[in-house]
Parts: sequence; structure tokens; C-alpha cells
Amino acid sequence: MQAKYRVAVDVGGTFMDFVLMDEQTGEIRIEKVASISDQLPSQFMKGLTAFGVGIDAIARIFHGMTVGVNALIQERGAKVGLITTKGFRDVLEMGRGGRKPVYDFVQKGPPPLVERYLRREVTERMSFKGEVLEPIDLNEVDREVDYLLSKGVEALAITFLHAYAHPSHEIAARDRILSRYPLLPVSVSHEIAAEWREYERTSTTVLNAFIQPIVRGYLDKLQQKLTKIGYQQPLAIMQSNGGVADARTAGIKPIRTLMSGPAGGVIGAKFLCSLLGYKNVICTDVGGTSYDVAIIEDGKILERSQTEIARRPVLGSLIDVISIGAGGGSIAWLDHRNGLQVGPQSAGASPGPVCFGRGGTEPTTTDAHLVLGRLDPEYFLGGRMKLDLAGAKKAIEDRIAKPLGISVETAAHGIVAIAETNMANAIRTKTVARGLDPREFVTLAYGGGGGLFACAVADELEVPRVIVPMAPANFSAWGILSSDYVEDEVRTKVLPFDSQHIGETLPILNELSERAVKAVAGYGFAREDIVLLRRLDLRFENQEYTITVDLAPDWQNAEAILAGAREQFVQSHLRLYGHGDPSANLEQVSIRCRAIGRVRAPDIAKISAPVKAAVPKSRLVYFHNAGGALDTRIFERETLAPGQKLLGPAIVDEWTMTTVVPPGWSCRCDDYGNLILEPSGR
Amino acid sequence: MANIDVVLTEIIRNRLVAATEEMAKTLILTAYNPLLYEVQDFSITIMSAEGDMWAETPGVIVFSQAFPDAVKAGIRRWEGRFEEGDVMIVNDPFETGTHISDTNIYMPAYYDGRLIAFCGIAAHWADIGGKSPGGWCPDTTDMYQEGMCFRHQKIVAAGKKNDALWDFISDNVRVPIIVKGDLEAQIAACRQGVARLQALCGKYGPEVVRSAMDYVIQETDKAMRREVAKLPEGEYAASIRLDSDGVNPDGEFLVCLNVDVQKDRIKFSLNGSSPTAQGPINLPAPCTRGILASSIKGLLMPFDPCNAGHTLCLEFELPPASIINPLRPAPTDSYGYIVECLMELMFRCFANIVPEHCPAGGYQLTGGFITRTQPEFGKPFIMTDPVHGGNGATHDGDGPTNQLIGNGDLPNNPVEVTETRHPVRVDRVEFAPEMGGAGKFNGGKGVRKDYRFLEDGCYSALVIENTVDVTAKGVNGGGNGRSGYFVFNPGTPDEQVYTKRIASIGPFPKGTVFRSTTGGGGGWGSPLERDPQMVLADICNGFTDQATARAVCHVAVVEEKGEWIVDQAQTRKLRAA
Repeated sequence: MQAKYRVAVDVGGTFMDFVLMDEQTGEIRIEKVASISDQLPSQFMKGLTAFGVGIDAIARIFHGMTVGVNALIQERGAKVGLITTKGFRDVLEMGRGGRKPVYDFVQKGPPPLVERYLRREVTERMSFKGEVLEPIDLNEVDREVDYLLSKGVEALAITFLHAYAHPSHEIAARDRILSRYPLLPVSVSHEIAAEWREYERTSTTVLNAFIQPIVRGYLDKLQQKLTKIGYQQPLAIMQSNGGVADARTAGIKPIRTLMSGPAGGVIGAKFLCSLLGYKNVICTDVGGTSYDVAIIEDGKILERSQTEIARRPVLGSLIDVISIGAGGGSIAWLDHRNGLQVGPQSAGASPGPVCFGRGGTEPTTTDAHLVLGRLDPEYFLGGRMKLDLAGAKKAIEDRIAKPLGISVETAAHGIVAIAETNMANAIRTKTVARGLDPREFVTLAYGGGGGLFACAVADELEVPRVIVPMAPANFSAWGILSSDYVEDEVRTKVLPFDSQHIGETLPILNELSERAVKAVAGYGFAREDIVLLRRLDLRFENQEYTITVDLAPDWQNAEAILAGAREQFVQSHLRLYGHGDPSANLEQVSIRCRAIGRVRAPDIAKISAPVKAAVPKSRLVYFHNAGGALDTRIFERETLAPGQKLLGPAIVDEWTMTTVVPPGWSCRCDDYGNLILEPSGR
Repeated sequence: MANIDVVLTEIIRNRLVAATEEMAKTLILTAYNPLLYEVQDFSITIMSAEGDMWAETPGVIVFSQAFPDAVKAGIRRWEGRFEEGDVMIVNDPFETGTHISDTNIYMPAYYDGRLIAFCGIAAHWADIGGKSPGGWCPDTTDMYQEGMCFRHQKIVAAGKKNDALWDFISDNVRVPIIVKGDLEAQIAACRQGVARLQALCGKYGPEVVRSAMDYVIQETDKAMRREVAKLPEGEYAASIRLDSDGVNPDGEFLVCLNVDVQKDRIKFSLNGSSPTAQGPINLPAPCTRGILASSIKGLLMPFDPCNAGHTLCLEFELPPASIINPLRPAPTDSYGYIVECLMELMFRCFANIVPEHCPAGGYQLTGGFITRTQPEFGKPFIMTDPVHGGNGATHDGDGPTNQLIGNGDLPNNPVEVTETRHPVRVDRVEFAPEMGGAGKFNGGKGVRKDYRFLEDGCYSALVIENTVDVTAKGVNGGGNGRSGYFVFNPGTPDEQVYTKRIASIGPFPKGTVFRSTTGGGGGWGSPLERDPQMVLADICNGFTDQATARAVCHVAVVEEKGEWIVDQAQTRKLRAA
């Protein structure tokens, strides 16, 4: 039988989402199973088999997992031992010493994941140029590793000073350890993050070691189960950088998979929007606890090279997702000034919003939407759940409206408006603050709450168009289906960016390119099918922070790279900060290469006639700008035909989402079933 | 204020705070000077048309509290005759409150031709002329020696660069490219703030913005007063003596603080503080008020974004011509010592009143600079490497190590960056646990860092806040933290130990090792109450040893089959004695 399906499995906090796509037609089917933290592999199999297609019919499985990030956030990882350069074992515990909440005089940093007695030093030293100043003493490595194992250590991290400049000591130590203990998980810093800044690199390496046994154990178990039912095709794991790697690589470098959840939606957004012809996209994912924003600019996903998880730094390329505590479960409260605040605390899935009737007492944005009439208490989750309108009203009345002396409707509107402002501010930091004009973007709204907020946030930022894709609550899983295989390589090499020094950069560029290409070729791609991206982190001499510029493929010689990268850099600096001297000295900091193995993009199915006949319905929905409640028509999404246009005020309901079309907006159903919302008259 | 839309008010307040955060980001990402992009020696403030604070993003908290005073001085000086597109410059310490290196740039924001607000950035410049490179003058006797002084000149007038003034700055600083780069960054950030304000007024109208922020300030004042009213009424007093003003080693330099809490008001009196010092440790009045206001705000409402409402319930009595309210042209370059002293005095007054927000005393400021100015030895450089020590313990845990006490957010430099930039190798960075005060909860530890000079011709400047009275004072029976110190060539016959600040020593030959050991924090509660399991962990981790644990904490730890364990019986006996 011809394998014809592609499956994506995305693990969330409450549900595991499954999407099955027919590779020929692009038609999709959706499944959901409960996300039970200690039974993930069996739940995975349960969801997979629920589609009822033979295992031979599945060509690829793509998987976005949260095992690593959960272990990290809950600090339930392995007992890690650290081997480091003599004189530097305290780097991990010292951190960088800043105090972000400056008025909090009792602020403390996170406790170290490796206690001091498990941080062991060995004699060795590299210079910043990568010269050996003191050779490594491997007998000391043996001694310290034996000590650590006697203390019950389950995984090792090795970070030597300046290992990014020359990894030979780290390699020697690792080889020695593996020759004695072949099964011991060992993470080495130059493989995890070949970038300078010893605290950040040590932190990243230790975090990798901390989650490695758990992630590897999970992936091994999953593969066994898949093999047992006869699955022999690839299992691809979503990484933070928006590409996939094979399960083996993900088990060695699990730190790269930490942000795989939000990455799926953004990848999907890029794929869908390029098909629809939009190059500038604001991707917004509204879940139960958070609002995640990512930006696609001129067809490219905005990335960053460092992030922080559970207050600890992580180096590595990842999609730049800004996440704020504003979701469906975010709690509304009054501060000491009686100022209305929303989030970051969330009622989560349990007890959840008051209207879920599971014991929640604090009003949330979902309660506010219900009170405003935007959610149907009888038809939540397509009628699978009844909502307690009276309870929601009372909570908003008692906690917000009475203390402020305003009506329940005004208070509910206020809760939603504050959440929307927080959302708009998050988008501003990634657009306006970077010299981008939101009026030149479209918003793609997905996640369970996307359609409730999207038009209001777009109004605030004057974004002229909002798109709500099909199956918006499963969009992240769907997005994973369009991932490619991606391998990143990076090396810090600080040099003046000029004709005297470019000769030192070119060989590194070639070496990193070769390594990245080789890794992707290892996934079974022919070399000519692999796309290579080369990037440099540049800055003005004397500056600290860099801008990453892409090197065009046809810049092959030194002159082309020097001239092209300089022009790119100066233009970006001008756009971002309003000034930039085109002839000032530049400095290069890090060299980055990315190899991409393209997986055939799935087709997207067009919709035909509606699957269901429409039943006219309407109810009163409160719109603040209209001055009160308006009679509003309610549509079921499945009843919309391609090309059908609705005028606001209107509401489009579906199983997993509700989309609000405010007065002054229109909504059109396109040929693929996407909802296209625009201010009327455009 | 009957017609206040509470939702819109919160949206406007929130947008202004977000605008200051954006401005800060622009400054950090584009600055040329490590004091800005690494050390964050700056602050961002948005103020009303009258100069009252609406929102801020502090790097250093004292700046933004003092900024409104500087802008109000500018409004008086120009009698309000600003023009759209003006950018003003002021660094007169008697108007900005700090020292002359901290240059305030501010820009009036106009909407429909009307002045609606000011955006401002205070930032420590890499150089300001004056007698010392980088503006570190420990021994000046008047402000004219310290550098160029600006008093609200227009660096940009109605959108047009004042070329004469830019040239003048260029000709009078040692590193013009860096200074002009930073000035551009300051102006770019101000322009960004102005654009945000204009967008906000365009959306809601300037009157609405104005009345919303009036309401926010009024409600913040009420909230602050509610917090003050919860404090037990009464007077709290403390004082610290400093050892030297940098010029006159034998004088007395006393800072006295009396805090009088009555109902919902607090009065700070500094009567009894010494007269203006001859040397530069004086602290001008705007900053004296600013640091006391910041401290009380942090102790009572640490997480609230700051505005003018936080200070309306405060009163100040600052004796004129004193060390904390000097008159022009007194020298002020080393203003930071008294800033830290005042914070420390506040902690002493409030440790047992608001223990959840107040630590024991933190490490005494220590810092070593390494410089080379003579090009015959190689490329000149100035290396400022902030190394923090131990912060004070808190009522519920050990004090953090390697975290700036008091005044701001100041990350350290990675060793890998330092070695790439400067001819220096770092041989070790490690905890110095002996520096922290012992207690039920220990003060934070010191940090020991060894630098090896790889080339000839390097000099050092040593900064030690070496007060006669210890600042890292323990609370409720906790031990004091020890003071930081410097050693050249430790453990060799050439060993030299320094415990006082020194403007410049050197040149040192290559191979010299320079060891900096920063101070520790004060402990909280008696070490006899320290949990024996915490003592055990200290021994396992090499933070203390058996003998010290026994002598100081009265805890017996013994080795059994290669593992450390607490000897419960012996410990009970020791602690009963």
C-alpha cells in the first residue's frame, strides 16, 4: 500500500492534538486525546490509531513535544554533574548579577541546577583565540567523573572556557569519559552552543544535561512502540528554530526542542500566508494562559539567538516568540490603585474560568466574553460544555464592577479591553519598536481564543486584515506538517569586519556550512536538495549588541560579502534606530549557518459547498463602541460557503473557537475556508 | 474627577510604561559605551508638561527620581519657551542631583502645537572632559575640575542640530566617537518616546491623557499613603561615618538619617549630617531626596511602576551647605558613596518593620579599574569590570551573591568577553564565602577574581567604599559582612594589599596578578539558630568547614563512610550550652 498520509502530533498542557493530512489532496482530519503527563507514549499511540488508517499508509510523523520544557519548569530533571575549567566552577551559581526588578531589594537569582559539590574542576586552559595555554589533564577528568558517579550523578555537562574557539579539550574529555562509561549521557558546550559568554553557555549545557535522560527515555519508548506496530518511516521532532530534526538528534540535544510548541503555529502561518500571498504577518496564538506573538517580515520568520526559560538563559537559534500572560483563563483583578489588571495569573484549565463551574471564583477574560454575549452558554465547544453565565456575572460584579462603581457590562468590557491592550503592546514591541508599521501586516489568529480578540487588537494597531484559518485551535499541529529539516551551526569569532580579516572568516563559514549540510544529508536528503543560509552577527565597532544579517547566496567572494553585509547592516540599523554611519568600522561577532532539507509542502484543500445548512440565529452582544448591546447574527462556521460575506456585528461559532466580527468589520469566507476579516468599506 | 474612564486610564498608564521600556531598549542596543549597554548606568523618564513623573524605566533608580527636578529647572530657565523638535542637555549636578558625567537629555513633546510632556534620558557618558579620563575624580575640590557643565542648552533646536555645540563637545572629550554615539542613542530614544506620546494623544486626545495621568498620580498617592499608614508610628534613626572625602583623610564625614512616620506621612530629616566636604563625596539635594524616595518606594511597593504619586506623602529636611545638600560649586563626583549609605540607613531603619521587602546590609562597594593610557605599551584601554559582592540576608533566606546591592540593575562582564577585549587573563572567579556575615541566614558571599596582566604599562584604580562604620551590618544578631580589598601578586614576596581607594597605581609589569575580593553581606538572626541541615550543605559545598561550623553555629558535623552528616546529639549539647 502506498504511504499517503502525514501526521502531526502536538502536545499541549491539556490536550494532545493530532492532525492527519492526505499528502495528495491536502484534506485533513483532527483528533484530540487527553494529555496525561505520565502516559504520553501510550496516549500518543491512542491518538494515532484513532484515525483508523493503517500504519503502512503513514509516510511521516512530525512531533512537537513538551517533555523537556515541562521537566525544566518543574525542575524535575536528572542529577547533573559539571566538569569545568580550574578556577571557574562557581560561574553557574554566580550568574550575571543583574537585578531586573530594580526596586525589589530582596530579589534573588534562581538556585543553581548543579550544587557546588557536583561542580568539579580540571586543569586545562584555552585562550580566546583557541590556543592551548595549558593542556588538559585527563587523569583529573577520570578522578572527578568517578567522584561524581559515586555521588549518584545521572548526566554530565562539560563546559571549558573558550571551548567555542577550539573544542579539542572538550572533545578529549568527552571521548575519555565515553571510553570508560559508554552509556553515560554527556553534554559538551561546543556542541550545544558554540558561542561566547561562559555563564550563558554553561547554563545551556547544564540544562541540556538536566533534561536529556528524560527526553531520550521518552523518545526511545515512543520509537519502540512505533516499531512494534510496524512503523518504519521517520519520526521528526520539532525544534525551537522552526525546523525538525530526527529523534536521535533531538535526544542528544533536547535543549533545542524547548520551544517546539509555539514554533509549529508560526511555521504553519508562514506556509499558509505565503500561499495566500501575504509577506508580512503578525502571528497570534491565544491559549488558556498565554498570548504568543511572532512576526513574519518579508516572508521571513523573525528569530533570536538567546532566550530565558525558568529564569535561566538558553543560547541557540529560535523563533522569536513573545509570550504574555493574557489568555482565556487570565484572571482580572484590582491593584492597590484600584486599577483594573488582567493576568499574568491564570485560572488555567482547572479550576478554570468561573463559568466552567469547576470551582473557579476569580473572573477571567472568558467570563467577560460570556457576559458580553460573545460566547453562547449553551454552545461552548460546539455544545460539549454548558457555561454558567450567572456565576460569571456575579464574579465580575463582586470583584470588579462594585468596587469600581461601574456596571457589569462596563467591567466585562474593561477586562477584555485591558487584555487587548496588553496584546497590542506585545505586538508593538515586535513591530513599531523595530521600525515596522503594523498597517503593512495582516494578523493570523489561531489558538482557542484567537478569534475573540483579533479584530479589536487589529483595530488598536490599525492592522487592516485578520485571517482566521480552518481548525484554528489545532493550527499549531497543522503547522508542524509543513516543517522542513533544519540544522544550525554557530561559532563566535570576534574580528574587525574588513578586508584584512575576512580571510579568517571565510574558512569558518565554509566549515560550518559543511557541517550543517552534512547533518541534513544524514536525514536522507540529496546534497543538491539542501538549501544553505549563511548569516553574520555584526555591529559598529564599540557597540555591544549585534544585528544578524543574511548573506545572499551569490555573495561568494570576500569583496561581495564585505560590501553586501555592510549595506544590509547599515540599512537595518537605520530602520531600527534611526541612525547609521555607512562608513564606520564594523565588527563581526558570530558566524551562523543553517542547512534546510525541504520536505514536500502539503497541498491545502479548497472547500466546496457547506457541509451543513444554516439555521438563522441571533442574540444580544455588547459592543462598547456601539454604546451597548446590539442584535447580532450568529453563524456556524460549517455553514459558510466559499465567497460568502457577513457584515458585523456578527459571530462565527465553531467547535473550538468563536470569532467576533465587530460592528464596522466584515467577514468573508475564502476558497480554502479561511475567514478574512476587514474593516468594512475597504 | 467624576468622568474618569477607569479602563482607559489603565490603558494610558500602561502605554506610557511600555514607551519608556522601548526607549530603554533602543538606548541599550545602540549605545557605544559599556556603562550604558552593560552596566545600565542610565534611566528613562516620561514627565508631564510641568515636569512631574508619569512613567519610568530605571537602570539606576536614583536618576529617574531626580530627573523631574532637572526638567523643572529647565522649564524655569527657558520660561517654557521650548519649540517642537528641541532637544535639551543638562548635567549640572545641582540640577540633576548626581555627578557631572551623568548627562540628562530631554525633549519636549508637542501635539497640535501644544506642549504635552517631556521624554528624558539620564546616562553616564564615557567622558565629560575634566581632569580624569572617564570622569572618575576621587580628589576634586570644585565641580569645574570635574568636567564641562551644561545647563539646558539646545543640542538640537527645532529639529536642527546645534553644530557649534556638537563641535564643542567633540573638542572637549577624550573619546568623541563614543560620546557622540551615545548622544545619538539618547536622542534616538527620546524621539521614539515623543512619537509614542503623540500617537497616544492622537488616539485619545491630549486632555484625556493628561487627566488620566492626573488620576493615576492621585490614586498612587492614596495607595502609598495606605501603605505608610500601616507602619507603626514613630521615629527611626541611624547614622554612618565615612572615612574620607578623597582629599581630607582626617575629617569627619557623618550622614545622619531620621525617619519620622506619622499617620500617612513620612518626614526624612538629615540634621546632624556633616557640612559640605572639601572632596567630591557630596550628594546634591535632588539626589538625596531621590534616593530616599526610591528606597521607601521599593520597601513599600517594590513592583509598582513609578510615578509622581509615590513621593507626594514624603517630606524632607536637608540642612543647607551640608554633605547631603551642598551648594554650587562643591565637588560631587564620588556621589555614589553617600547614595549607598543612605540606602543602607533606610534598611537599618526598616529591617524589622517591613522584613519581607528589606534585607540586612549589603557588601561595601568595591571596584577595580585597569587602564593603559600610554600608547608606547600598546593600544590604550579602560576596563571597567563590575564585580559584585554579597547582598544582605533576608528574614527567610541566605543573601544572594554576586548581585548589585541597592541602586539598580548592573550585570557583570563575562570572562570570555573581557579576555577578548583586553590584554588581561582571568585566572579564577570564585566565591569568597568567608566575606559574608554568619547568621540564621548568612549574608551573601564575596567574589574573588584574579586578573593577570598580559602586557606592560597597565595601571589600576581602586574604588573601595571604605567607611569607618561597616555598611554590611547584620540584623537581629547576624554577623557583619567583611569589607572588600585588593591584593597585587598574592602569595608571592611582592604581595601588596590595599584596603583603601586609590586614584591610580602602576605601571605594572606584565605577569602581575591583581586579585579583587569583594565584600560580603550582613547575616540575619543568630548563627546559633541556623538549621543544622543548612550548615551541613555549607560544609559539603565547601562554604565553611567543620571547625568554623562548630565554633560559629554550634553545629557538629562528622564524616561517616565518606559522607558528611550532622551529629545530632553533639549539636544539641553544643547548642544547649
